[in-house]
Amino acid sequence: MRPARFTLSIKQIALALITGLLVAVSLVGAFAAWQTRSVTQSLARSNLDAAHSELSAATERLFRRAANQADTLAHWDETRQQLVLPEYYAYWRDQRVYEAGILNSRHARAALYDNQRRLLSNNTTNDTEPGSLAARFPRPGFPDTLPQAAQLLPGASWLANEGGTMVVYQAFPVYSDEHQHSLLGYGLLRFDFMGELLARESFHFVEMGSVALALKPGETLAQNALFSRLNFKARSDPNQARFQTILSRALITLFLLVAGAALLAFLVYNRLLIRPLHQLSRDIDTMQQGRSPSVNRPSAMHVVELESIRRSLHEYQAQLRELHGSLENQNREFRSQARQDALTGCYNRRAYEEDWERFRTDFRHMHEGAAFLLFDCDRFKAINDTYGHAKGDRVLTLIADALVMALRANDRLYRLGGDEFATFLARTSPAQAKQIAQRCQSLIEAGSFGDLGISEPVGISIGIAFCSAGQPENVGDLPKQADIAMYTAKQPGRARIAVYGEDTERASQTLVANRETSALFQALATPGMIEMHYQAIHALPDRKVDYYEALARIRYHGELIMPGAFLPVVSARRLETEFDLAVLAQVDADLSSGMIPEGIGVSINLSAQTISRAEVVSHLLELSRHTARHALMIEITETSLITQVAEVSTYLDLLRTVHFRIAMDDFGAGYSPLRYLADLPVEVVKLDISLISKLAQDNRAARVVADFVRMMADAGYSLVAEGVETEAVLQKVQQLGIAHVQGYLLGRPTPLDRLADAVADDIATQPARSA
Amino acid sequence: MIPMRLILLCLLLWFASATQAAVVYQDMRPGIRASASYQVGEDRDKPAVLLLHGFLQTREFPTVATLAGGLHDAGYTVLSPTLSLNIPARSQSLACEAIHKHSLDEDTEEIARWVSWLKKQGHRSIVLLGHSFGSMQLLAYLGGRPDPAVKAYIGASLIEAQIGPVDRRALIGQLETRARTAPRTLVTHPLSFCRKYTSTPRDLLSYVRWDQARTLDALHRSPVTGWLIMGDADNLLGHNWLAALRHLGSQIVVVPGANHFMDGEHEFDLLEHTLVFLRGLSEPSR
Repeated sequence: MRPARFTLSIKQIALALITGLLVAVSLVGAFAAWQTRSVTQSLARSNLDAAHSELSAATERLFRRAANQADTLAHWDETRQQLVLPEYYAYWRDQRVYEAGILNSRHARAALYDNQRRLLSNNTTNDTEPGSLAARFPRPGFPDTLPQAAQLLPGASWLANEGGTMVVYQAFPVYSDEHQHSLLGYGLLRFDFMGELLARESFHFVEMGSVALALKPGETLAQNALFSRLNFKARSDPNQARFQTILSRALITLFLLVAGAALLAFLVYNRLLIRPLHQLSRDIDTMQQGRSPSVNRPSAMHVVELESIRRSLHEYQAQLRELHGSLENQNREFRSQARQDALTGCYNRRAYEEDWERFRTDFRHMHEGAAFLLFDCDRFKAINDTYGHAKGDRVLTLIADALVMALRANDRLYRLGGDEFATFLARTSPAQAKQIAQRCQSLIEAGSFGDLGISEPVGISIGIAFCSAGQPENVGDLPKQADIAMYTAKQPGRARIAVYGEDTERASQTLVANRETSALFQALATPGMIEMHYQAIHALPDRKVDYYEALARIRYHGELIMPGAFLPVVSARRLETEFDLAVLAQVDADLSSGMIPEGIGVSINLSAQTISRAEVVSHLLELSRHTARHALMIEITETSLITQVAEVSTYLDLLRTVHFRIAMDDFGAGYSPLRYLADLPVEVVKLDISLISKLAQDNRAARVVADFVRMMADAGYSLVAEGVETEAVLQKVQQLGIAHVQGYLLGRPTPLDRLADAVADDIATQPARSA
Repeated sequence: MIPMRLILLCLLLWFASATQAAVVYQDMRPGIRASASYQVGEDRDKPAVLLLHGFLQTREFPTVATLAGGLHDAGYTVLSPTLSLNIPARSQSLACEAIHKHSLDEDTEEIARWVSWLKKQGHRSIVLLGHSFGSMQLLAYLGGRPDPAVKAYIGASLIEAQIGPVDRRALIGQLETRARTAPRTLVTHPLSFCRKYTSTPRDLLSYVRWDQARTLDALHRSPVTGWLIMGDADNLLGHNWLAALRHLGSQIVVVPGANHFMDGEHEFDLLEHTLVFLRGLSEPSR
């Protein structure tokens, strides 16, 4: 399944939802606040309009009232009386106008002007009886001369700033008759604009403290231009302010309630969902990591579905744990079985490899040395062949039991394969290791092998390698060193216990330290590095080349390494099979290359130990396809190591059916029992150079060899004399009737690329040899 | 309930007066123009009636206006002046508290001017008809040098210049003193129905002198035939005023139930008694 690009936890989702909710509520609140502000502004504008209308209506009423008063005064008989008989003008002005109810405010004053616009004299009689109102009202400063006629139209009025007081003047003409034919004079009404406004009017929308008329001292303003200079503010609506306050509080309360509810919801959500889901997730993760979650959680989840999941998960986990336990038991058993050798009960090679790796790692921290012991049963093949596999298995079991008994309590015995066992001893010294090895040999020698009907003594060879503490880099070489020591221990005359470094110093120098070892391993791993040289086998007496023997060389950094240098390594490392397979592959390649002239036979050296290997036989069968063009021969070497004669014989018979000829190589050298000649389908016997060289002597050995040659020839074997290097030996060989010879006298090994030339030369020189 | 006949009569009189009355003016003194309603009667042979309103009133006073209308309807020429009281084109009743810069002499002078005006209009027989204080002012005029064209006098609800419960003699003395010492000083004193009548000492004095005795004397000395129409429910009249008038032997008609203003249905009584008197005047001339 393709993973999501990003993942969110349920807590993040919850937080996002709550944050979104709060943001939404905030937006709604902000929108409501914005709307409220708009409404408030609209109401403020309405208030201002209402205030303007209210103030306009109030001033209109004020001016209308003033106009009415002016009209009343203009038509009042007593007004006309004063314009004619102004003797008591002051009394009229200060008392009568108020007494008669025409002017009813202390802010209003009246004055009269004659028809020349001159203010009636203040010098008129003011002697009145007590009760004069004049003293109660301040005398305003009416202008001595009435302004121009433009302001004296009926109803004409204006405003003026007089010492900081805004006053309204209302002028009116006074006629002597109803038809206004005769102008008696003028009247002028004056009142304090603000005082009259405040005294007469009540305002609901106008903030009275804000009402101000912007007039400079002495400046006048026509009534109709009043609002161009009138400043005022609308009274703030308490209901509106209260509404705003209530709304703001409501919004804040709503936000707090939603926030609190969101927090509470989150806590509940966290308690009911997030934490249980986290716990379930952790449990699942824990289970995925192979650990056991805390299944014994006492508190059940409050959400039914989660509780169901938890129960299911825990039941599933319990089942898994049970299954896991069962599997672990089975695994332990399987692992134990996988690590145990079924025959002997000791650890097998797999356990060896695992434990060895761990031991190598642990050794870095050890403060004492370690030893590697390699055990190999002596002559086990012979025992197996002689007494059968059942007895052989019993021998191995007794050997394993004895070894386990001889080892220390914590030491482990591993069966590496066949009759080979190994152990590695921690915290030990070379002397202790050798002591343990000797105890092993003693216990085995004291073993009750006679009970099995085996009369021959059964023993083991032990190779020991030791690594001191503080040299962890060398511990990896212990198996190889023990192997070399084992090789040393196996050699005749040895005490069957060899310690690497003490008993194998020379061998290690020749086998391990030289470059040939490296060349060998590299050649086995790299096809083509093994180079075949071909040495001719000549038929007598005409010395005609009958076939060639393929001899292996290793070309390493441009130089040829000869068999004498690498074959001991092959033998010591038991690399016979790998080496022979590499040789077969190279011979196959040479034959396939066509560089070997058709009709030229080729003999191939094979170790007696590998002839019974299925892969070698398989390769030989594959190689048999060349027998139509080239006669092929197998030369068996190291016949002394053949343990399964019958099996080898079977394979050789098989190979003969595919036209391989069988030769026994190096006969006379080492252990080459005559029994093998009898049991194996050998046609050709190649006499070792150690025998042939005896022929040049004139002594009993030469006669024995000659008799033996004749006997073999009489038995029907085709004989080949190896190592013929002198003409005398050749003559002797020829006299004995040996059919074929091989040696430097007649031809050295030739590389493949010059083999064709060599064949041609041989054909060309054939007549001369014959002659 | 007001009789239907009375309502119709009122409407008729109002309509007639509204359609036929003319306002005439005379400059009494410099700057002082006085007006009068002049209703020419159908019968030029009938005497013209100069109808004078009461104290501080105008010719629009209901009793006077109604009476004028009735007389005009009856074929009499009626001149109803409004005394100027030294107010140009006075058209309103003058408040008691107003500055009364007028005197009885100026009132009689204006009466004389209107009598002269009537004569200029061709009326050779003039009957003076006054109501309340106007009746007293007409007597003052008659006590002077009345025009010969004035043939008779009718005083309705004749009353003296009442000054309240003060000693008239002492008041007169005070006013005379003030008139000499501070003639321009305004004084306030009850006069007639005014409790605070504001005037100069001299002007006030001109009215205060007319007590019941002087009024009776003027009535007694009147050079023309006199006729009084009084109401027996007139509360404004002084004690024994009606008895004094009767005692004087004046021709007097007392309308039962009528008050000082002869309002209501007593306006008709006033009119009828007036017409009766006027018709009585016409007979000898024929």
